[in-house]
Amino acid sequence: MSTLIIPAAGRRLNPHTSLRETASHTFSMAWRALKKMQRNPEQFFDVVIQPLLFTAMFTYIFGGAIAGDVKSYLPTIITGILVQTSLTACMATGTQMREDMEKGVFDRFRSLPMARIAPLAGPMTADLLRYGIAATLTIITGLLMGYRPGGGFVGVAAGWTLVVIAGWSLSWIFAWLGTVLRTAQAVQGAGMMIMFPLTFLSNAFVPADTLPGWLQAFVKANPVSLVINAIRDLMNDGALTRNVAWALLGCAVIVAIFAPLAVRSYNRKV
Amino acid sequence: MTTHSAFYWAASDSLTMVGRSLRHTRRNFDSLLLTVLLPTIMLLMFVYVFGGAITTGFDQYVNYVVPGIILLSTGYGASSTAVSVANDMVNGIVDRFRSLPILSTAVLTGHVVASVARNVVATALVVGLALLVGFRPNAEPVEWMATIALLLLYILAMSWLAVALGLLAGNVESASGFTVIILFLPYLSSAFVPTGTMPTVLRQFSEHQPITPMTETVRGLLMGTPIGASAMLSLAWFGGILVLAYLAAGYLFKRRAARS
Repeated sequence: MSTLIIPAAGRRLNPHTSLRETASHTFSMAWRALKKMQRNPEQFFDVVIQPLLFTAMFTYIFGGAIAGDVKSYLPTIITGILVQTSLTACMATGTQMREDMEKGVFDRFRSLPMARIAPLAGPMTADLLRYGIAATLTIITGLLMGYRPGGGFVGVAAGWTLVVIAGWSLSWIFAWLGTVLRTAQAVQGAGMMIMFPLTFLSNAFVPADTLPGWLQAFVKANPVSLVINAIRDLMNDGALTRNVAWALLGCAVIVAIFAPLAVRSYNRKV
Repeated sequence: MTTHSAFYWAASDSLTMVGRSLRHTRRNFDSLLLTVLLPTIMLLMFVYVFGGAITTGFDQYVNYVVPGIILLSTGYGASSTAVSVANDMVNGIVDRFRSLPILSTAVLTGHVVASVARNVVATALVVGLALLVGFRPNAEPVEWMATIALLLLYILAMSWLAVALGLLAGNVESASGFTVIILFLPYLSSAFVPTGTMPTVLRQFSEHQPITPMTETVRGLLMGTPIGASAMLSLAWFGGILVLAYLAAGYLFKRRAARS
């Protein structure tokens, strides 16, 4: 049996992968990332311990002094912690990506016939699980403490979905940082410098009207405040408001800007 | 040839080790950042972000929170001390010092004095920044002196406790983990919010732990609020911690050194 070898000049090579193939490659890489998580359960510490610790600490220590009593503070703090935790979780995306790149595993991926975006989008798809766990644990902790969301099950489910979408969108910023910066520590440092002001200079922990005037302007323009307002509308009031539309639009804009940037710098780096 | 007393050599050895620890501090940018920058961030965050929302009974929240931030900054300083002690024990430098004709515990003294120096600088910076953001103490010179003396006792006690924890830890990571309790205690006290606003169980704990009387005493001395039994409780707590931590550090150092 003879095999016909077509010369390179006569071959019709398609350098572009179809959308279906891209999705398939992305899910393969997501599966790899899930396997890594399974073998390194400490990756879940930030999404398991942090929401429990922060929710308990802020509610019991500051709740009475901020809102008069613990129960009155829960609608404010639970929604704030939801967003803060997803931000912290997506910071790890960039750090782990940088570690992978340092180990040289991405060089091997480049030699394979796969979509260029897959090694980036794969781990980020897998990270949806981490955001989901963090959001679920925060909500459960809140419910155990006495939080009774006015939006009911549908409102909570919608809020949960928005948190996961927001986390995934923001993780593209950290993925880009992971491809641009040289070390995992640098990514972590830069991540902290972004995360700290965005979460604490927002309406996550205190109502915006209690802040000094000059700070209120920043807080109201802060995209994290926008997402928190949207989640509060969904979970506490069960209302599909303009805030939700703005939050989703903001997420789309972040992905539209940072996904191409991340892929471009990844292709240049690797 | 001049002969010096044992005390002279002990002091000389200790000063050499203090110099070594201070040089390490200067070169270890991370620990310097932790000791100075974190309390600064915490002060600004609590004053501007939480200040307007937290009810304390004070006109300005900054006047309520500064004593707590001072104690918190010492906690950060203690954390880096524990890590550097653990690092010394792990990387074998203590074995080399033991082969030299120097006072064996001079290494610990060096760490403690350097820690006190670091914390004094951090405290001065925090107070300076607090004055810039609106802190207005109404203390007389005598009350300032009493505050400084009390804070020095607190810093010294926490430094020796950090040294003991650093010796107790098997490695640098464990030392860092052990100090979490030191860093966390101020939050579970009257440092940031009045204990009366806390749930019953937390309030009971908060009112019977060492940081609360210390905070109340410093606040009372600087702001003129009632001190009551807090001053005596502070002296008892931190005098006791200082003695116990000093003895524990000496014992642990001898045990660790003998094992190596």
